[in-house]
Amino acid sequence: MRRIAIIGAGTGGTILANALAKKLRTEVRGGRLEIVVFDGSESHIYQPGNIDIAFRGANPKAFRRPPTQLLSREVKLLKSPVSRIDLENRAVIYDGGAKMGYDYLVVATGSIAAPEIIPGLAQASLNFHRSQEDAVRVWEALSAFRRGRIVVLPALPHKCPPSPVEAVFLIDELMRKRSIRKDVEIIYATPYTRAYPAHGIADVVEPEMEKRGITTYTLFNIDYVDPAAKKVYSLEGEELAYDLLIAIPPHRGADVVIASGIGGEEGWIPTDKHTLKIKGHDDAYAIGDATDIPISKSGVVAHLEAITTAESITSQIHGTGKVYLYNGRINCPLEMGGRKAVFVSGTYVKQPERQNPSTTKYLMKRLFNRLYWTMLSGALEPIFNIYLGPPYEVKVVADDANKSP
Amino acid sequence: MKWGVRHVVDARGSFCPGPITELIKAYRKAQPGDEIELLATDPAAKSDVAAWAAKSKNEIVEMREEQGYIKIVIRVASKGG
Ligand SMILES: Cc1cc2nc3c(=O)[nH]c(=O)nc-3n(C[C@H](O)[C@H](O)[C@H](O)COP(=O)(O)OP(=O)(O)OC[C@H]3O[C@@H](n4cnc5c(N)ncnc54)[C@H](O)[C@@H]3O)c2cc1C
Repeated sequence: MRRIAIIGAGTGGTILANALAKKLRTEVRGGRLEIVVFDGSESHIYQPGNIDIAFRGANPKAFRRPPTQLLSREVKLLKSPVSRIDLENRAVIYDGGAKMGYDYLVVATGSIAAPEIIPGLAQASLNFHRSQEDAVRVWEALSAFRRGRIVVLPALPHKCPPSPVEAVFLIDELMRKRSIRKDVEIIYATPYTRAYPAHGIADVVEPEMEKRGITTYTLFNIDYVDPAAKKVYSLEGEELAYDLLIAIPPHRGADVVIASGIGGEEGWIPTDKHTLKIKGHDDAYAIGDATDIPISKSGVVAHLEAITTAESITSQIHGTGKVYLYNGRINCPLEMGGRKAVFVSGTYVKQPERQNPSTTKYLMKRLFNRLYWTMLSGALEPIFNIYLGPPYEVKVVADDANKSP
Repeated sequence: MKWGVRHVVDARGSFCPGPITELIKAYRKAQPGDEIELLATDPAAKSDVAAWAAKSKNEIVEMREEQGYIKIVIRVASKGG
């Protein structure tokens, strides 16, 4: 029997496992193929919900479900983290030393917000990227805040490029609602030259920030924090005082990737940005936040890479000789407060363009919060396909390189 | 100042978050005297990297259009201001 092993049952891993189960149902039911997913966590977290938890006081329970409820019956879930990946010998080590071989591997282990990378940051700041509990602490701090300076500070690299700007707008909205906006200074210190890295989107965001009295410091890449002095220092030689520091910590790859010596000390897996194969391997893929592809670390990308990889592995198993190449499509909502949003959309060859904020886009984002769980099952794929088309190009290869091992 | 290693950073195809993200990832690891060779397709790379280099007091030693992308070489002169 052949085996597809997927490490991680987050956004990418879950969508991939369910897509493969659908495409390869006959093989699985016939006992010729096994789809195994490894993940030790009790809950699958809908991470964009952290925005609602941190800035609207939403209940975290609304944004988590047990992974068993989200995976197709054809998928076998092993509730154990993988401790080591052995790409050369096609095996994963889990559960205190058990070893499982695979024919195809997909690493979908995500990324981790790691404030401890920057001296002083873990002690000095709160964040809404590491966990739901962290997001709750942001809400508690904002609720107790009366007057002074709030600094929102993203550090590179981090997932979800729009999230720092969303934080800034929603803090402004919250402080207005509490009628204390005049006593609160809001500062956005960005590592980029503009308030948003894609200039078309910065054109929309900057005037709105100005209108709301939010001050932007550009080219501020955090070097270290002095928690006692309540000051942040940048690599560019500037300093910034704060009363409340909300950071988007720099992210790194999963422990297992680092421990397996795959992605250097930061744990980003070297991945071909089109085939999504781990470089140098024909039977191992990486998707989502875990890769070193220079693209936004977002659920949308994890989703579209999962869809592409499901096609590629199915093609390899069926020996069709087709290769599926991800086109780099992104489509991330950016909420601007006041029930308005824009979408940051583009591909590897098309940069995100300026667009007008609208309530329709905001409502689409809100709707997606609820559709997410259905989307994981794959039930919405036909609709996405009609409106957006596939996120890949198909190439037929002449030789047997892509056929089953 | 000693001459260091060259870090090649391929940010082609990235518009969001864009080449500055990849540049800063490399810059954090680099030592004074190292060079960072950045490849980008984002047309904003030129002005963004120039602004960053000026502010962080690092030196751009090469900036040119290749076929379909931009190549920028930065010599790391300073870290931490
Ligand atoms: C505040 C916030 C807002 C966001 N907003 C948006 C948004 O609006 N739009 C958008 O597209 N994206 C958004 N994102 C980003 C999005 O949530 C992530 O990019 C996405 O979840 C990445 O999917 P993934 O499958 O790569 O990783 P994840 O979904 O993070 O899943 C990784 C999984 O791997 C598991 N794992 C790790 N190590 C191991 C191991 N050793 N063995 C087994 N399993 C392991 C983990 O338990 C986890 O379940 C947001 C994120 C945050 C924090």
